[in-house]
Amino acid sequence: MRTPPPYRLPVEKQKQLQRAERLEWVTIFFLITIAGVMYLATGSSQAMKTAWLEDVLSLVPPIVFLVALRFRTKPPNEQFPYGYRRLISVAFLSAATALLIMGLYMLYDSAMKLIMQEHPTIGLREIWGWQLWSGWIMIAALIYSAIPPVILGKKKVPLAKKLHEKTLHTDAAMNKDDWLTALAAMVGVLGVGFGWWWADAVAAGVISVQVVKDGYENVTDSITDLIGQRPTRVGQGDEPELAPLQLVDRLKDLDWVEDATVRLREEGDVFTGEAYIIPRYDHHLLEHLRQAYQVIHTGDWRLYDIAVVPVATFEEAWSDPANDRGDHSTRPEKVSEKPAV
Amino acid sequence: MVRLGLLLTLALILATCTFPQDPNSTLDRVRGGTLRVGVTEHRPWVQRLDGDEPAGVEVELVRHFAEELGTSVQWVWGAEQEHLEALERYELDLAIMGLTQATPWKTRVGLTQPYYTSRITVGVPASMSSPPELAGVAVAVKEGSVIAAYLEEEEARPMRVSEPAQAEALVAAATWELDRLGLTPTDFELHSEKHVMAVPPGENGWLVALEKFLAARQSQVEQALQQQASP
Repeated sequence: MRTPPPYRLPVEKQKQLQRAERLEWVTIFFLITIAGVMYLATGSSQAMKTAWLEDVLSLVPPIVFLVALRFRTKPPNEQFPYGYRRLISVAFLSAATALLIMGLYMLYDSAMKLIMQEHPTIGLREIWGWQLWSGWIMIAALIYSAIPPVILGKKKVPLAKKLHEKTLHTDAAMNKDDWLTALAAMVGVLGVGFGWWWADAVAAGVISVQVVKDGYENVTDSITDLIGQRPTRVGQGDEPELAPLQLVDRLKDLDWVEDATVRLREEGDVFTGEAYIIPRYDHHLLEHLRQAYQVIHTGDWRLYDIAVVPVATFEEAWSDPANDRGDHSTRPEKVSEKPAV
Repeated sequence: MVRLGLLLTLALILATCTFPQDPNSTLDRVRGGTLRVGVTEHRPWVQRLDGDEPAGVEVELVRHFAEELGTSVQWVWGAEQEHLEALERYELDLAIMGLTQATPWKTRVGLTQPYYTSRITVGVPASMSSPPELAGVAVAVKEGSVIAAYLEEEEARPMRVSEPAQAEALVAAATWELDRLGLTPTDFELHSEKHVMAVPPGENGWLVALEKFLAARQSQVEQALQQQASP
């Protein structure tokens, strides 16, 4: 059985991908330092604990992205004739599910602290010879936890859009929103300083809600991606990409094409699927099909492995020949009453 | 610009009022009135003398703290759990009982930073020198003490006796206890205990005031332990 060669990004996209990969490694490095600093600063503040968990969880998208990058360039083979490009969607679905469940747990934990009226005890801490209120140490840690992610996030978002990488975009968006998490936790800690014990649990709740929201959005995005939704714009929910319509226009521009329609889905960063063409005439059909294939795959860098299907009518493309007429039915026939001869 | 204004306002507020504050105003209440302290005997930290008069290292610290605050002290004798449960529900302001940071109550009440760290080690008589290692060595320890378990972790042989002082052998105890017995502490680290005091949960202003007081008194604790030690 023959299989197609693996997808290759255009050269400029390869450079952008390399940059994205580098930024993801930098992100992982900083997130680990942040997790360490936060861990040391966290005392009995629920908001700090939640913020720390959120920071640790934000390690998951970049790791998923980097691992999937390694696998998806593997060429298709007999066992996996469609290649490995979908791995990233599956990996991301698992990661998003983990995020969602953790977020729900964090929300439950914070709510319980509020219901049980647990007053957080935040006293002095000795640091480098000074006796400081732990709250200031926590706030310092929170400020540090906000700076690298926000900077990195701002750099990654435009890259994600250029590369049509949804995983990268989600990761970048979460990084950019880290300042909100840090701010919420700071308000919580300061609130405790002012004697409002509930400020801590409330801040933790706010952070948890954000995590749940991120987790939920990512889960639904991954699911729609995996069940073959039409291509959607990066970072804009379900808003459809114009690529399918543009493709149809380009095909119809060909003089031998009477009419055309396409059916596309996303597989990671590429669009794949089928193009149904009604040619005006039968002659030179192979040449024309080859031309159509070229037109499709040189127009938009995201199109890959699109099958070109010539049909007489569109209904014919999707007819079910086995069930069209009763006498060709494939359903098991009723046992005949005719007596054996 | 707005952010800078907010920051300055915050700084102003913090500079003028006491920070952090108590949700239940413990510090203010104690300053104006009485300090309710739960005490449980645990020598040498808390001792019960005749007439229910409290004495001990922690008791002395609390007496000085109360003097600084200009408040009178109400001592309440009782057991550990009683006091900590009361503390948890704000029926007491402070509980002292030779508590250490390892207490499982740390999630339910507030604990100060450790004000003193005890070192549990093996002591040798002045005439002997420290053994090269503890494995297989017989060491006397007070019966019913957890220190016997620490010795077994080091593969020593604990001899559980009622009066280690009379054992005429190596003894495992805290360094200030060994000083009292006239033994020289060795370098073996069996265990370390970080001593803390307990306060009601979330009363951070009160806690910080106490912690500031204790932080300045580390050397006094060492002295008090020596004094308590001499019979």
